Amino acid sequence: MDAALEFVNIGKEYRSLFGRRQLRALDGFNLRVEAGEILGFLGPNGAGKTTAIHLAMGFMRPTSGRGQLLGEPFGHAATRSRVGFLPENVALYPRRAEQLVRFYGALNGMKTAQLGRRAAQVLEMVRLQDDAKRNVSKFSRGMLQRVGLAQALVNDPELLILDEPTSALDPLARVAVREMLLNARAAGKTIFLSSHLLSEVELVCDRVAVLHLGRLVRLGTTADLLQAGQRTQIVARRIAADCFAGAAARNGEVSFSVPAGQQRAALEKVWQLGGEVISVNPERHSLEEIFLQVTGDLSKPAGAA
Amino acid sequence: MKPVLLIAINFVREQRWPILVLLLWVLLLAFLGLATDAARHSEDLLFVFKQVAVYVLAFSVFFGSSAIFNDRRSRRILSVLAKSVSRQQYLSGLVLGITIACGIYCFALGITGSWTLGEAGFPIWRVWFLMLCLIVACALAGTVALMFSTFLNPFFAAGATAAVMGLPAMVSYVTGSLQWSYVIPVYALAAVVLKSSFGASFGFPGGLPWFPIVWAVVETLVFWQLSARIFSYVDIAVSVE
Repeated sequence: MDAALEFVNIGKEYRSLFGRRQLRALDGFNLRVEAGEILGFLGPNGAGKTTAIHLAMGFMRPTSGRGQLLGEPFGHAATRSRVGFLPENVALYPRRAEQLVRFYGALNGMKTAQLGRRAAQVLEMVRLQDDAKRNVSKFSRGMLQRVGLAQALVNDPELLILDEPTSALDPLARVAVREMLLNARAAGKTIFLSSHLLSEVELVCDRVAVLHLGRLVRLGTTADLLQAGQRTQIVARRIAADCFAGAAARNGEVSFSVPAGQQRAALEKVWQLGGEVISVNPERHSLEEIFLQVTGDLSKPAGAA
Repeated sequence: MKPVLLIAINFVREQRWPILVLLLWVLLLAFLGLATDAARHSEDLLFVFKQVAVYVLAFSVFFGSSAIFNDRRSRRILSVLAKSVSRQQYLSGLVLGITIACGIYCFALGITGSWTLGEAGFPIWRVWFLMLCLIVACALAGTVALMFSTFLNPFFAAGATAAVMGLPAMVSYVTGSLQWSYVIPVYALAAVVLKSSFGASFGFPGGLPWFPIVWAVVETLVFWQLSARIFSYVDIAVSVE
């Protein structure tokens, strides 16, 4: 499968004037985003997520390494006509929403005839059809973010690069964006989604990459990451809570977890005690737990407990 | 070409208030034309015309030195350069935008000058030739300022532009040699406007001063290319504050 976006051993250093201070934002960063997938890009503030996105868009040059966007090196202007980009802090020229979307579409080389229809279409997708004639300078932050999404979608891009697309949106708009992302994937688009909203990422992403201190520290399918736990959660009733170590009783039900290899023995013990098994599930981590574990572990100094 | 035009028009739109303020000076000239007897006060009218004309050069430097900075500070540049717009096209749009903004002023001044100075006996074709000198000088001054603003903040970019344009002018003034003023011919072109009189001469040897016009166009192209080259290495997403 072709990579829609690829970072190969990318390093990026920011230097102050005369190089007195320097900050390494990315260090040997490798990532391959396959065509047709939604990849969640996670990391704490300052991890280097936005730097990676800006490198991909050609806003800056890497200090070392190379990368490709839809098969062309980063910074290739013509390729960007096949890409939709939503920056973290949406900043747009103060004019009517519809005019603005048309302006950005025209910058991408779209023909005037198709622009009007497409602008109306994308504004409807982000539920701004009633505000299309209003100046965006009067918009709330959430509305601005939706116009930002509309301008990113106007050229019907193959690859969508979204930096915090739902950070300013209300729950209804978030659901709409989630549906839009899933529809886009169904239509064969690739989505590179940077977000702090881990629950959103968990719901829509095929794979997740976690970046910390400029390095990729975790990459895998969302399902694999969430099921990374090697334990099984068992819920039973009609047994005493003290029969199993760490068991908790609630509303007459006892829940406990055992290592996956001891699952069968634990179930047999429940039955021997005259209990009834209600559920047996592999223990799942939330993305938040994984995120905190990964970034927390790596933040600790070497040798710390 | 379409993105260049769109960026240029967008720039003019964004600068509509400074352009309108600038046009107030033209309005002043028009008012003087209405209020005075053109034939009796022809020299005064020409003096005001020349003063008002050269203001646009300062504005072209102001436009050029602040254009990229404003777009970077507001982060609007990101959504423009996220489209299929190369940095060279972006800069071309700004150069064209600056030229159009100054062109609007020169056009308004040309119309007003034709009317007021025409009544005083100043040949109308010469008013428009002066406007041509002015617009070419603005394009060059704006492009030089734009080039410096790719790596300096607006204040230093404007200062550097003033130095680059002013040094040859100063040497030319001190030595009395016109050749020096052709190094960066903004001064040479401004001098065509400032030295114009009701007499026949433009103050330049050999009649119409085409050489500085052509040379300024060539230099504008060179500085535009140089700007694009420098700008292609600039990390535009880095905070400009």
